[in-house]
Amino acid sequence: MVQSAKPVQPIWCPGCGDFGVLAAVKKAANELKIPPHQLALVGGIGCSGSIHNFLEVNGIHALHGRLLAQAIGVKLANPQLTVVAAGGDGDGYAIGMGHFIHAFKHNVSLVYLVMNNETYGLTKGQASPTSQIGFEGNIEHPFDAILTSLSIPVPNYIARTFSGDPKAMTAILVEALRFTQDHRGFAFIEDLSPCVTYNDTYKLWREKIQDVSKLDGYDPTDRQVMFRLCQETREKGKIPVGVMHRPSENEKDEIGLEKALLPDDLGPARADLSIDANLAGYTKLIRSVT
Amino acid sequence: MSSSVANISKHATGSETAPPTSRKVLSDLSVMIGGQGGDGTLTVSDLLGRYFRKLGLYVYTSRNVLSRIRGGHADASVRASSHPTSAVKPDVDVLLAFDHEAAELGSKELGPEGVIIYDSSVFSTSLPNSYGFPFATLVGGQVGQPIYKNTAAYGAVSVLLGFDETLARQVIEERFQRRGAEALQKNLKALEIGRQAAFGVPEILQRWTVQPGEAHDQILSIGNQAVALGFVVGGGRFFSGYPITPATEIMEYLQRYLQPFHGVVRQAEDELAAINNVLGAAYAGARAMTSTSGPGLSLMTEGIGQAGAAEIPVVVADCQRVGPSTGEPTRHEQSDLAHLAHLGHGEYPRFIIAPGTVLECFEMTVQALNLAEKWRLPVILLLDQALCQNTVTSPPFDVSKVKVERGPILTSDELAKMAEYRVYQSTDTGVSPYALPGTPGVWAEVTGNEHDEWGHVSVSVPNRVAMMQKRMGKMTKAAPDLPKGKFFGPEDAKVGIIGFGSTTGPIWEAQDLLSQRRVATRFYQPRTLYPVLGSEVDAFLKSVEVCYVVEHNFTGQFANLLREAVPWHHAKLKSILKYDGHSFRSPELVRAIVGGA
Repeated sequence: MVQSAKPVQPIWCPGCGDFGVLAAVKKAANELKIPPHQLALVGGIGCSGSIHNFLEVNGIHALHGRLLAQAIGVKLANPQLTVVAAGGDGDGYAIGMGHFIHAFKHNVSLVYLVMNNETYGLTKGQASPTSQIGFEGNIEHPFDAILTSLSIPVPNYIARTFSGDPKAMTAILVEALRFTQDHRGFAFIEDLSPCVTYNDTYKLWREKIQDVSKLDGYDPTDRQVMFRLCQETREKGKIPVGVMHRPSENEKDEIGLEKALLPDDLGPARADLSIDANLAGYTKLIRSVT
Repeated sequence: MSSSVANISKHATGSETAPPTSRKVLSDLSVMIGGQGGDGTLTVSDLLGRYFRKLGLYVYTSRNVLSRIRGGHADASVRASSHPTSAVKPDVDVLLAFDHEAAELGSKELGPEGVIIYDSSVFSTSLPNSYGFPFATLVGGQVGQPIYKNTAAYGAVSVLLGFDETLARQVIEERFQRRGAEALQKNLKALEIGRQAAFGVPEILQRWTVQPGEAHDQILSIGNQAVALGFVVGGGRFFSGYPITPATEIMEYLQRYLQPFHGVVRQAEDELAAINNVLGAAYAGARAMTSTSGPGLSLMTEGIGQAGAAEIPVVVADCQRVGPSTGEPTRHEQSDLAHLAHLGHGEYPRFIIAPGTVLECFEMTVQALNLAEKWRLPVILLLDQALCQNTVTSPPFDVSKVKVERGPILTSDELAKMAEYRVYQSTDTGVSPYALPGTPGVWAEVTGNEHDEWGHVSVSVPNRVAMMQKRMGKMTKAAPDLPKGKFFGPEDAKVGIIGFGSTTGPIWEAQDLLSQRRVATRFYQPRTLYPVLGSEVDAFLKSVEVCYVVEHNFTGQFANLLREAVPWHHAKLKSILKYDGHSFRSPELVRAIVGGA
């Protein structure tokens, strides 16, 4: 068999939360038997965005903040690929915020994995959009991506995981990948992934995480309930984790971008471009101009 | 000079029984229609264009509108000629004015024998050769709705220009039958009102007739439509764009054209998303393009740089408008070239190719797609507002001449014979064979970071040098593959002219005017602007004593690129520049050349 690019050693610091994500991606791909050539991983800019270098995968390293726009291009060009976009909180919630909000609206079937460490690690520890007040002099309110995503009424899959709990993370990732492989839409996972060098939150987060499925009234098909549970959990000083929205079988996106633009599974990248195969259609089109 | 309603009806009866015989025959004429946005000026220009085409004439229509939905001054001009033309006629023969501003502005472009027809129910004027008809009042009274005044005005112009009555009616029927029987009847009635009004004025009735032509095999199109069609037949299958004047029609046409061919057209949330959608799709193996204008191009600059560094084939159609900043969105300029030649931070290869006609827009969009994939880099299809949006008769587009050339794409069979798949493999051409993601058994890393042959990030010194040479070398190695220039006029002419894009039309016309004054010129239309094709330019400049570089910008951007490429010809190059938002009129070029030669 022809030799393709071999994974390289991760650039991450020992103990980085991103290792947990890397392991979960490998396990999930194994469990779902996704061969490397069928998986496209679009990486952002930052420590986390280099994850595709450490896997046997079609990797594309996007521009800072643009990984979702590129991932959507990949998926719409070849809907048979399983597409994962993976980056950090700065990449997704600061420079990439415009595309982030729109991705829920586009509802293209791909998994977006944000490794949130509440800091810009690669540039040495500046405050990020999710940083707590006081961190590195931060005086802006931290952004909660889960609350935002719950407010967008589109049947997306939404979850938060913690790198300190790889088992739960793998289970959620498997579910998210299946969701996208069934062409059900966009799956967003925010993983709490501590930066051991600039914001070592392992201990703090382990104490603070609250599995939402354990809460009274937990219903991941009901956005209002989940929004309230997440808010109440935050008010108690806890961080909600788990599946935040799992569209019920009858909550289907009938008008989404993917359905409208891709009448079948062939897609632009695999279409026959030869003149002969298209001659009748081309001739009719050209003759319509008079 | 306004005629009264009573006068019109009195004269109308007599004129129909005694058809005029002493009309002057026109074989090249221009009608300008002006008013407030919403007055229906574009409809009249469309009606006139349809009529002239039925007569077998070549047609060139330009429009001058503001960046607003309604209101504000708007005008359009229709040129009809028995010879091919793609330039605005320098002198207007008929000015149809719906308001005072249109009369004042348009009269400045009126030829010495030009006639003004105006709506005297809106304003009156004492401009020479002006004839007022109360179109809005007449139509308001007899049809019930003054909005049909524009069709009545078309009727008056049809009498002035000696139109065949049956053909003039046919044009109305074709234009309005889709709107339903009532709208059609009202328009036909308005036409008759306008005709009867004009019959009352002998000076109008006796004046002109238009000579039929032989251009019946032509189509009528705009550059933006030709680009969209070229994209489809050239195998383009993924388009993402963001609305921006004057590029939007490319996206709108593709929304109509592409889906039956498994294509995807997306209106993105911004230009950053548009170029990055295109990068993702092109990476996945789709032939992909975006289109934009100056402000959007600025936003796309980082993405185009990634296409150069990561060797992803993308096409960007830039419909240039007046800059800098938001500039004048609806007006014409060619001032993005210098930016494009040096686009982005760092250094990467790119080709800038520029069609000069609507037919070339079709053909060169196919070329742009081929070049992008064959050389795996960004290709800029450089257009300008006049080329993108002015309507022109063109030879029909020919699918049988289209060739889809995809460059080295690895099949599973080819891969099976290989030991290794290195996505950035070093080759003689600098182009690495590519396996589309999804090809069984292979995968790769693609990145805008400096990388080794496998796509792994690398800061190795020998690798960096080799990769820079691999990528930048494409610019010289591709030269024989890039669109060649076209030459017009006698080979031994000593006065040279260089111009690209829509300036071709006015330059051809200026060449005719100059030859009438015994000034022989040779016009070189370069179609690859960057990299400058040094040997082609050098040979041309050697053949002339002086060369005028015609451009719509302030600094002479292409002349400066030429000076960089062939500095030894520096002294021969003289710039003719225009940056007022309007395209060149041929006499301006004649004055600049005869005055300066």
